[in-house]
Amino acid sequence: MEQYRTEEEQVEALRRWWDENGRSTLAAIIIALSVGFGWQAWQRHDQGQREAASELYQALLQQVGGTEVSAAQLHAGIELGEQLRADYGGTTYAQFAALHLARLAVERGDLADAEAQLRWVLGEAPGGGDTARITQLRLARVLAASGETEQALSILDQSDAGAYQASYAMARGDVLLQQGQTDGARKAYTQALLLASDAGQQQINLPALQAKLQHLNPEVPADVDTAAAPGALGTAVAPAEPGAAAEHELGVPAAGDRQEQ
Amino acid sequence: MLQNIRRSTQGTAAKVVIGLIVISFSIFGIESILLGGGGSAVAEVNGEEVSSQELQQAVLTQKRRLISLMGDSLDPAMLDDERLSAQALEGIISRRLLQQSATGMDLAISERQVGQLIGSMEQFQVEGKFSADMYRSVLSNAGFTPAYFKQSLRDDMIQNQLRSGLAGSEFATPAELQLNARITQEQRDIRYLTVPVEDVSQGGAQVSQEQIETYYAANQAQFMTPESVDLDYIELTPQDFYRPVAEDDVVAAYQLAKQNHQYQAEYRVAHILFEPGAGDERGTVAQRLEQARARLDAGEEFASVARDLSDDIGSAGNGGDLGYTRGATFPREMEQAIAELELNSVSQPVETDAGTHLIMVTERNEGSVPTLEEMRPELEQSLQAEAARTELLRTVETLRDLAFNADGLAVPAAELDLAVEQASGITRSQAQGLFANPSLLTAAFSDEVLQAGHNSEVLELSGEQFVVLHVRRHNEPELQPLAAVRGAIADIIAENAARAAVLARAQQALEQLRAGSGIEQVATAAGYEWQVELGASRNSTVVPPEVLRGAFELPAAAPGQTLSSVVMTPGGDAWVFEVIRVVPGDYARLPDAQQQVLQQQISAEYGTLVDREFQRGLRQRADISVM
Repeated sequence: MEQYRTEEEQVEALRRWWDENGRSTLAAIIIALSVGFGWQAWQRHDQGQREAASELYQALLQQVGGTEVSAAQLHAGIELGEQLRADYGGTTYAQFAALHLARLAVERGDLADAEAQLRWVLGEAPGGGDTARITQLRLARVLAASGETEQALSILDQSDAGAYQASYAMARGDVLLQQGQTDGARKAYTQALLLASDAGQQQINLPALQAKLQHLNPEVPADVDTAAAPGALGTAVAPAEPGAAAEHELGVPAAGDRQEQ
Repeated sequence: MLQNIRRSTQGTAAKVVIGLIVISFSIFGIESILLGGGGSAVAEVNGEEVSSQELQQAVLTQKRRLISLMGDSLDPAMLDDERLSAQALEGIISRRLLQQSATGMDLAISERQVGQLIGSMEQFQVEGKFSADMYRSVLSNAGFTPAYFKQSLRDDMIQNQLRSGLAGSEFATPAELQLNARITQEQRDIRYLTVPVEDVSQGGAQVSQEQIETYYAANQAQFMTPESVDLDYIELTPQDFYRPVAEDDVVAAYQLAKQNHQYQAEYRVAHILFEPGAGDERGTVAQRLEQARARLDAGEEFASVARDLSDDIGSAGNGGDLGYTRGATFPREMEQAIAELELNSVSQPVETDAGTHLIMVTERNEGSVPTLEEMRPELEQSLQAEAARTELLRTVETLRDLAFNADGLAVPAAELDLAVEQASGITRSQAQGLFANPSLLTAAFSDEVLQAGHNSEVLELSGEQFVVLHVRRHNEPELQPLAAVRGAIADIIAENAARAAVLARAQQALEQLRAGSGIEQVATAAGYEWQVELGASRNSTVVPPEVLRGAFELPAAAPGQTLSSVVMTPGGDAWVFEVIRVVPGDYARLPDAQQQVLQQQISAEYGTLVDREFQRGLRQRADISVM
């Protein structure tokens, strides 16, 4: 950069620079601003769309999200779901709404409609995502319910369950049991229970799954000559802690004394 | 020097430097430099930081929840910060993951939705209507700012949408219902008899000395005394510091208490509000004000004018009624006017931030101030408690220093004129008395106190109770002499023998059943009680649980075939049972209510599993680091 001797010279230099570059600078600024504002406006529009869909979805949950749903609520809920699918088809809310529509269809026994809703979600939801995997699983179950057990099994076996191994295994067990394949069902249920509980921290309570497994895994009736080993069936007695021994001396019966062997 | 600076800032290099500074400020803002970025993060979830404030807030919320849930029965150890903050951090991470997943799916909650939710929450309502004052005071009592509260509501809503969309849309297909009904609604006809342990133990079988000695030798581990400690301790509570209160202090406190709002006169107030810009189609504030005054002067009811003209929609419907004030409810300007107003006359226009008001006092209750004698017990008690608390805390502070530097508790106690108490035989699993308190037990059995023989810290059990302790004696576990446990061993051996005898009898009955005898025949011959339960379901409450479990664990036998087995109860009785008939459940024949229950159960089971796996998946894919 040159050094300027007087202020006039500096002003003159600035003016020269403006004459050369002023127009393009202005144009650049205007373009940058309009791109910026345009982007913001689009974002606002997008946000508006999502919020509108969110409000519809919340209304849908209010109508049909509970356990007791009246006929009027059901009607209103289905209408809201259809509106979400039609007007906000690209949003996740539309997919969630379709999942609820599928649920309502299954509940009234319309398996064909349920299948159509689930297939629509599969078309919309990004592959490999949570929504797609869960929908895939439900599609297989609906197909099995309409008698297409082979197709259901092939979906369950061939698609990648991702994080949903236990749910897929449980569904596979149900389909196999429906087919009468008790061995396969037992294996699938066992796998499901194992996968469900290895999460560690919290115990998960799946009473129906456990009942089914117990049904497929019966205990052998007690043998009569086990009398030789008294510990085998019942419980042997040992004091839980020395404090309990004192209670024995005092003749206090203490249920806690007995420990399962 | 200024010349120098001026000259050097003209240089190209200087201009580049200044340019860079300007750019960095304009991009990052001045906060990033003044406040510093990060540093206080306690964890990072997929690159998003969890600040320590957020964690503290969560711990605090959890504490409040525990306190309000458990009240006085709360174990102070449950409020342990370290434990709570580990839990709270887990919770924050889970929520953060859900939040990120929801954002990734483009879920959003509008300002209006949050507003609607807040408006519908009962905690913020007065007489069934949302009250902004109530909202602010409830929030500030709970330690939330409105912004934080709204954000957490928004987060809750969005996470709820996500989970209701994925897991909440779960169902049970007709085929699954049929299948599950077949198994879970199965019914079994069961017959069972009981072989009671009393029958065999009545004889009081003789146990030989030799048997006792053999058992003692073989099971020594069962006959150790527990490890225990004998303790010296000092306990401090405010009661220890209660002193009589000086008369002067009571009088001074009385003078102060008289000022309290609850003794002040109470006014019921109505108003007409003119809000600039609110009703412009009906004229300016001044014009509308004039109109209202004219109607009031013409003798019209204040209430009807308020209904027509007030811009305060909340009160206009009630004739402008705003409820009661004791001088601190409304803005200062209004309260001033209210205090000067006569009953049922209308004020001059009063300006507040809300707009211009015309005010009328519709009711007035003079306050009544209690006399000194009426208030004396209350005042004395609070003064005494306050003084005691101060004294207590001062003593605790001194005791902390003394106890830390002393070898036992005798010296600190003597110096502060406190009593050292003693407790002995305190075990690690102490369940009774002062030392059942987990924080005291932890301290008593800690390395510094137990091994090194130091005094413990002065432990705060509640805000008002303090304990410092010292281990006087450490009792290691040792084998109890045979004489002390002889009786117990005899009991054990007798009980085991009784069990074996019960089981042998039960086996005998089982053998007879399998040989083809009827259960009634077997039972009557041996004097056992027997029962039959037709159509027992898995959750029958009639059949003893051991029998029920045993009966449903048996395989489903072919029609006409009977399967039998035996189980023992923890009490030593034996049940011999047989399953005569198995009827699979049929969904179509269940009553409606039961069909619905089953439907909910099956869909909830899939829902729970999907939700669990969804969250587990989020966690597995996430990049989480805890600092």
